[in-house]
Amino acid sequence: MAKKIRAYIKLQIPAGKATPAPPIGPALGQHGVAIMNFCKEYNERTADMAGQVVPVVITVFEDRSFTFITKTPPAAEMIRQAAGIDKGATNVKTETAGQVSRDQIREIAEAKMPDINAVDIEGAMLQIEGTARSMGVKIVD
Amino acid sequence: MVDQHKAPDGRWVELSVAVDSEAVEPVSELMSRHAYGQGVAVYEQYQQDPDGDNLAPDPTRPVTVVAYLPLNQETEQKVGRIEEGLWHLRYLGEIGELERAERPEEDWANAWKEHFQVLRIGERFVIRPTWREYEPVAGDLVIDLDPGMAFGTGHHPTTELCLRWMEEVPVAGKRVLDVGAGSGILSIAAILLDAQSVHAVEIDEVAARALRENLDMNRVGESVLVSVGDFSKTGTGGERYDLVIANIISSVLTRLATPICEAVDDRGQLLLSGVIEQHIDQVRATFTAEGMKVIEERQQGDWIAMLLERNA
Repeated sequence: MAKKIRAYIKLQIPAGKATPAPPIGPALGQHGVAIMNFCKEYNERTADMAGQVVPVVITVFEDRSFTFITKTPPAAEMIRQAAGIDKGATNVKTETAGQVSRDQIREIAEAKMPDINAVDIEGAMLQIEGTARSMGVKIVD
Repeated sequence: MVDQHKAPDGRWVELSVAVDSEAVEPVSELMSRHAYGQGVAVYEQYQQDPDGDNLAPDPTRPVTVVAYLPLNQETEQKVGRIEEGLWHLRYLGEIGELERAERPEEDWANAWKEHFQVLRIGERFVIRPTWREYEPVAGDLVIDLDPGMAFGTGHHPTTELCLRWMEEVPVAGKRVLDVGAGSGILSIAAILLDAQSVHAVEIDEVAARALRENLDMNRVGESVLVSVGDFSKTGTGGERYDLVIANIISSVLTRLATPICEAVDDRGQLLLSGVIEQHIDQVRATFTAEGMKVIEERQQGDWIAMLLERNA
């Protein structure tokens, strides 16, 4: 019989750098998971992705054991790579951090489709565009 | 490792905002830019059958994005930036008001303890959480443990592999080095197996506090020397040991390979743990290049531990 699930928890945290500090501590502690066990697992399993923020979905079972799977990098990470920048603008009203083409937006949207809530590619592109704008990244045709 | 300097009193501000599923990515990105350690938690709403089966996301209900800031002089400025960013993102979809609550560390640091039970490992070891009762039987080696925010509850395969192996290799009368001691579970185990002495090394201050407390609780503090620091810089100062144990993770084991191997006596043994299958070739190659040879490897799930000796 499959183990009964208590919760799914989604976190976005830098690869290889999990610590019991927030958001991991509060997210897992409330479900009774031994926080350091998760940190060790996550750090060992994401060591090859160092430098990236890696989303992870943790399944917590009723006996407080857990498993997790890592997902595609956040759109922001992909946008930064596409634009060739290290970070977004500090003030999006006055600064432009870089630019990406609409084709690049489509590529990112296609890569992200399995992990985001969008009914079609146009909906996914809209979300990616929104993320790009929130980072001060301009979209050009 | 809890960064005590960021939240000096262990007080944090929890910021949460309910958003449409379309806005989850950009809002997460915005909050992670200002959040502690760039981390965010995303809580989807779930629907479940009345009997508790078939838990599945409910896409019709809003998602909550949560981030944390340490409560210090920069908190208000960062909250202001997040609020401003949310205002800009509201054209994307429904984005609620930013809610804030103060959360002390104790809220979560102890929550998991309720589910930490007495655990028997191998032939003789019994891990007793300090808040549980246990009546030992003849031959038991009981480790009283409150790991706090340190690794090493005994519930992880990497620790279990080490404890089981320690029951088999010669420990009695030996000088033992425990690199990355965490809660101190393996150091205490070594003393219970009649090691002559143990040197426990830990990089993290918070873990080291738990380590010292556990040593005292088990009345083995006098037999264990504790060093707090980065082993890649400190090494052992030329001291060598009969048994060196390192249950960390592969990237750290690889980084510390030279000082770890230097600490193994000519006829000593090295027990490595904390490596998943995917990384084992790299770890094996690194330690072999340091003049060690693998005697045996053992696996639990996809976690591998290995016993090594110095090449003759």
